[in-house]
Amino acid sequence: MAYTFSGGIHVEEYKNTRKCRIETLPPPRTVTIPLSQHIGAPAVATVIPGEEVTLGQKIGNVAEEMLGCPVHASVSGKVKEIIKKTLPTGATVDHVVIENDMKDTPCPDIKPIEKKLTDVSTEEIVSIIREAGIVGMGGAAFPTYAKINSALGKVDRIIINCAECEPFITANHRLLLEHPASVINGIKILLKALGVHTAWIAVEDNKQDAVEKLEELTEDSRMITVKVMKTKYPQGDERQLVYALTGQEIPTGKLPADVGCVIFNAETCAAVYKAFANGTPSISRVVTVDGDCVRNPKNLLVPVGTPVSDLVEFCGGLSKEPYKLVSGGPMMGMAQWDPEMSVTKSTSAVLLFSERFGKKNVKVPTCIHCGRCVNHCPMHLMPMYIAQFSKIGDFKRAEDYGAMNCVECGSCSYNCPGGVEIVQHIRVAKAAIKTEKARLASLNAQK
Amino acid sequence: MDNQEKIPEESGRRKKTPKTYSMPPFLTVSPSPHIRSADSTTTVMLNVLIALCPAFLWGIYVFGIRALVLVLISVVSCIVWEAAAQFLLKRPVTVGDLSAAVTGMLLGMNLPATAPLWMPVVGGFFAIVIVKQLFGGIGKNFVNPALAARVFLFSWASSMSLFPAAGEKVTSLAVNLAETDVVAGATPLAALKTGVLPDTNLFGMIVGNMTGCIGEVSSLLLVAGGVYLLVQKIITWQIPVAYIGTVALLTFLFPQSNGIAYEFMLYEIFSGGLLLGAIFMATDYSTSPVTPVGRLIFGAGCGAITVLIRYFGAYPEGVSFSILIMNLLVWYIDKVTMPRRFGGKTNGKTER
Repeated sequence: MAYTFSGGIHVEEYKNTRKCRIETLPPPRTVTIPLSQHIGAPAVATVIPGEEVTLGQKIGNVAEEMLGCPVHASVSGKVKEIIKKTLPTGATVDHVVIENDMKDTPCPDIKPIEKKLTDVSTEEIVSIIREAGIVGMGGAAFPTYAKINSALGKVDRIIINCAECEPFITANHRLLLEHPASVINGIKILLKALGVHTAWIAVEDNKQDAVEKLEELTEDSRMITVKVMKTKYPQGDERQLVYALTGQEIPTGKLPADVGCVIFNAETCAAVYKAFANGTPSISRVVTVDGDCVRNPKNLLVPVGTPVSDLVEFCGGLSKEPYKLVSGGPMMGMAQWDPEMSVTKSTSAVLLFSERFGKKNVKVPTCIHCGRCVNHCPMHLMPMYIAQFSKIGDFKRAEDYGAMNCVECGSCSYNCPGGVEIVQHIRVAKAAIKTEKARLASLNAQK
Repeated sequence: MDNQEKIPEESGRRKKTPKTYSMPPFLTVSPSPHIRSADSTTTVMLNVLIALCPAFLWGIYVFGIRALVLVLISVVSCIVWEAAAQFLLKRPVTVGDLSAAVTGMLLGMNLPATAPLWMPVVGGFFAIVIVKQLFGGIGKNFVNPALAARVFLFSWASSMSLFPAAGEKVTSLAVNLAETDVVAGATPLAALKTGVLPDTNLFGMIVGNMTGCIGEVSSLLLVAGGVYLLVQKIITWQIPVAYIGTVALLTFLFPQSNGIAYEFMLYEIFSGGLLLGAIFMATDYSTSPVTPVGRLIFGAGCGAITVLIRYFGAYPEGVSFSILIMNLLVWYIDKVTMPRRFGGKTNGKTER
């Protein structure tokens, strides 16, 4: 029986790369590593231009008391410069540019942990995860050590998110098929850190081969079970995932920890394991390169900081003129304007769409009040009304209708026959509401 | 979706090297989501037109060539009025979305086959220009345009109440019909209004051997159209089921004639414009609620008012008025049936 939730959409899957084994990208000539790849304070560079760095050396640090984690060199070579560049998410931060000497000299500080899992304490595990710079690799990039700390004592189970509900992306799927042991061992480390004994691996039912493999490997485990989810977008959203598995709704404004669950992405677990077993920090990840403009779509193991153009070149180049470059999935990813964009710790896919595929052909976007958005909203809102209030600037009413509950999944805009950019209108409303709240808060603080 | 370039083979057995593109100087940056389903207003309206065709074609078969001409004039004039209004109001012309065509077809099918040929033109003007465009265009009309036009055309009550007798075709294409062109007949509703079961047999009525407006005679084909719309997910079941169900319940509980209750109920359901109204007109997007509970309330309200007017009102038919009255309540129904949001409570107000 597959678990599911109400609402959501059945979107065309386009899992063209589901049979593509993960290939290692040939070493890039230069990497441009952002110093902020996580939610929280940006890292401060600890190297200067001209300095030689080794593979895995720490090149950026965040003070202990601030939220954030260090950044490491993904290649060995010489630091060329530190520049300001724009992240895929739009913020402009410092990037460390390293010229690859192609030697991959490992950093001498990198050592595997000599202790057995039973002898390690939670503090030690959290400290190792922080030092390794591990963040949520599903796209959110929340520092994993902070997630563990905030969940300590509150949760009784871990959920591993392998739903991968976005079209095109198969990175997690291939990881589960080719390196399931590293994922499962990572889960065991997280179980020890949190002191809980139940882990559920949530996989959508369009990945039957991964389900079978995982079930085989967890047959003897009393702690880890595989849960099969019905394939529907956005099953991977944390609220829908927790609801489908436990029947509990996370109350507005609260976190999964408040209902006893904590969620980690499958690749994050693999990264945790690598940090323990080899001491390797978070310096590379699996990226799906797809879209109708890529000649040979592939899954690639990519060092952080590699420019996207290198990935496209390795995939056979462009077979069509690209109209749009998207970082992440087509439903929630961000369109990019820089073909030299750097792959970050949370870039799960790079998609290139041609005009025929990606251009929306609506002359005049108009709401026809059909109610498809209301039917498909996984948060059970009335998106058309929120969008209309936002359009006329009535943000108070937009908030009353639940604008702040919107998770921006895009199910509404996907189905809208009138072509209304519903999610974007709601984003505008959310930003206005936040600004207003901040303004009121500062007024109150002044009193 | 084709994501690989097909390599064309030349007749000379030499494979052409596939062309490699380079990154263009500009990439499009627009907000997510970056893919869309194939649905558009045009595909939705096209499906409605398809669903209406069986009943429409039956109307031509029963009433003759004049029915075809009336509906065609209606469709064309609605499209022309919309294009003209949008052009004069300096708005983009959107007749390609076929919503004017649907309004035209529904308006035409709501006329008797004996109507003067200028009626659809006047009705089209009222529906498209006044009710729709002057209120803001598609999605912003406050009542169903075709129904509002039908009611407006009751100003020419004699023309709107003249129906050919069952089985009598109207062949004249004169703009205004003379007395001799028509063999008039009473609709089943007229009989029901006096409290008597109509002459026509029930099975005949369901198939379509009765008289009435062009599009309302064949219950069978109308329901077939409704099933098509349900399967294509254009309409949901709540409004038609609640509407027809309420009429059935009320007419069963309070039959007017001295006859058997369920027989009376069945005649009420298959007479007049109930099926056309419940399936095609009450479900118009802009003027019906968007929540499932809201749709049930809407349908039930329409049903109750229909029966009230049929029993106690001056007109034998209550469908048009009931839908128009419920249209006015749609915004309010939407507001009070706001779904409980995921992880929260619904009350439509935020704590401040």
